[in-house]
Amino acid sequence: MALTDLLNRVTTRATSVASGAGSAVLTAVQHNRLPGIGGASVTDDPAVSARRWRAVTVCVPELPGPFPELDALGPRIEVRTTPAPRDLGTELAARFPAGGSSDEIGELRAALRRTKQLIETGEVLRVDPQPHGHRKKTPQGAALEGVAQTAPREGVL
Amino acid sequence: MKALTWTGINEVSVEDVAEPQLLNDHDVILKIRQTVTCGSDLHLIGGYVPFMRAGDVLGHEFMGEVVEVGKAVTRRKVGDRVVVPSFIGCGSCWYCKKELYSLCDNGNPNPGITEGLWGQSPGGCFGYSHAMGGYAGSHAEYMRVPYADVGAFLVPDGVSDTRALFASDSVTTGWTGADLGGVQPGDTVAVWGAGAVGQMAARSAMLLGAEQVVVIDRIPERLQQVRQFIGADTIDYTAVEVTAELRERTGGRGPDVCIEAVGMEAHSPGPAGVYDQVKQQLRLQTDRPTAVREAIRACRKGGSVFVLGVFAGMVDKFPLGAMMNKGLTVRGAQQHGQRYLPRILDHMQKGELVTEHLATHTMPLIDGPRGYEMFKAKTDGCVRAVFTP
Repeated sequence: MALTDLLNRVTTRATSVASGAGSAVLTAVQHNRLPGIGGASVTDDPAVSARRWRAVTVCVPELPGPFPELDALGPRIEVRTTPAPRDLGTELAARFPAGGSSDEIGELRAALRRTKQLIETGEVLRVDPQPHGHRKKTPQGAALEGVAQTAPREGVL
Repeated sequence: MKALTWTGINEVSVEDVAEPQLLNDHDVILKIRQTVTCGSDLHLIGGYVPFMRAGDVLGHEFMGEVVEVGKAVTRRKVGDRVVVPSFIGCGSCWYCKKELYSLCDNGNPNPGITEGLWGQSPGGCFGYSHAMGGYAGSHAEYMRVPYADVGAFLVPDGVSDTRALFASDSVTTGWTGADLGGVQPGDTVAVWGAGAVGQMAARSAMLLGAEQVVVIDRIPERLQQVRQFIGADTIDYTAVEVTAELRERTGGRGPDVCIEAVGMEAHSPGPAGVYDQVKQQLRLQTDRPTAVREAIRACRKGGSVFVLGVFAGMVDKFPLGAMMNKGLTVRGAQQHGQRYLPRILDHMQKGELVTEHLATHTMPLIDGPRGYEMFKAKTDGCVRAVFTP
């Protein structure tokens, strides 16, 4: 094997690992308990967290449904709507009553955010494809791409 | 098309990139007429905000002409000359309806990053890292603007491109600080930082009725601009003790409103500056809060301190005791430009708010890397470098 091929393989492997690591780092940040950083609401207790209601407040007086983005997650989720205080709108909450995996909860967060956007603005905001220059294949860059890919499914929601 | 991109820590380049396209029905595409460096770009370029990917297009303060319109856009049309706030507001969420546009619930497609850092996600911002949405910035020939009916404002006849350009961020940010800082007629207002945002915060405070406005910096040509174009007083902090000077000017009380327009890379003479530099380089604090500390110390009892400079994370030696015992209101925000732009553009049209002097250096986009070098080093009296793609 030529040296350049070997280097390319090593670089590709390193960036792949870094991308996964970036995603894992973001997840870890959400779960940390360092003072002043992170949310921690998702990890109060793993068993409780897996079943916890996750909610967005949608700035409309009523939410008649249906909610296709949530329905797409299947029959294991439970959905409720509640009037929010004052002029805040309506709370839309969903959960896995029997507990959801980390991936499933990530999908639930993303679906709640998409639902809120669709109701409030009529569209789900896109950001790609968009202009960019040369993306150097570096472990740091790949890690950040992993973070960005995971970001819609992460957070304190 | 050509675009100025971040290519690594303290590296920017002009590259050939794809042209933007309409991605959502509420988008427009702008042909950029002018786009300008901002001090907060330096935090990104220097690696202080570690969410930049090599190849990201920089720039968040800009104006241009609409060349393409999404099918749901009703208030803008091809040919409109517009200015757009750097923060992206949907106009429909609770925060936007309360005119707190930079807190928009829907404008940041990557909420997981900032929720992790700060517990909640603010809105997105053009050209301001993947933490703030990963949007391509304005240092390019063309640019996509989402939620255009909410964020793209017609530039009135008689307002030059360069005057309108600074309504995108410098003026709107300054106005946000003065207004939410609670400036009242008759107040004394002190502003830390005589860059474009500090100057515009000072001018905004005057237009809101402040009786005495004092701007603090060390760069002679910037302080001269404050006196000549803003009409405010100045203090050179390398020549006098700032808090003593402010006490003397306010009958011993201190300013009613203190606006910090410096940010996370504050310069400071003496041991305190060395301390902050060392701690920041060792990553024991992410930001240098020198001016915030001084503003809290200088502010009158029961007064208001507004943090307008950009901070990202943790600071050390925050004077919490002074804040609490003096009964201060401490507040901060990114700009809520959509709220203030109609009034700002009206002041600009009447000649009450001028910005052209901020554009000390204008050059083609291809010279962008040189523009950022001058801007960072403040060489040749550079206050802002404006690019014309």
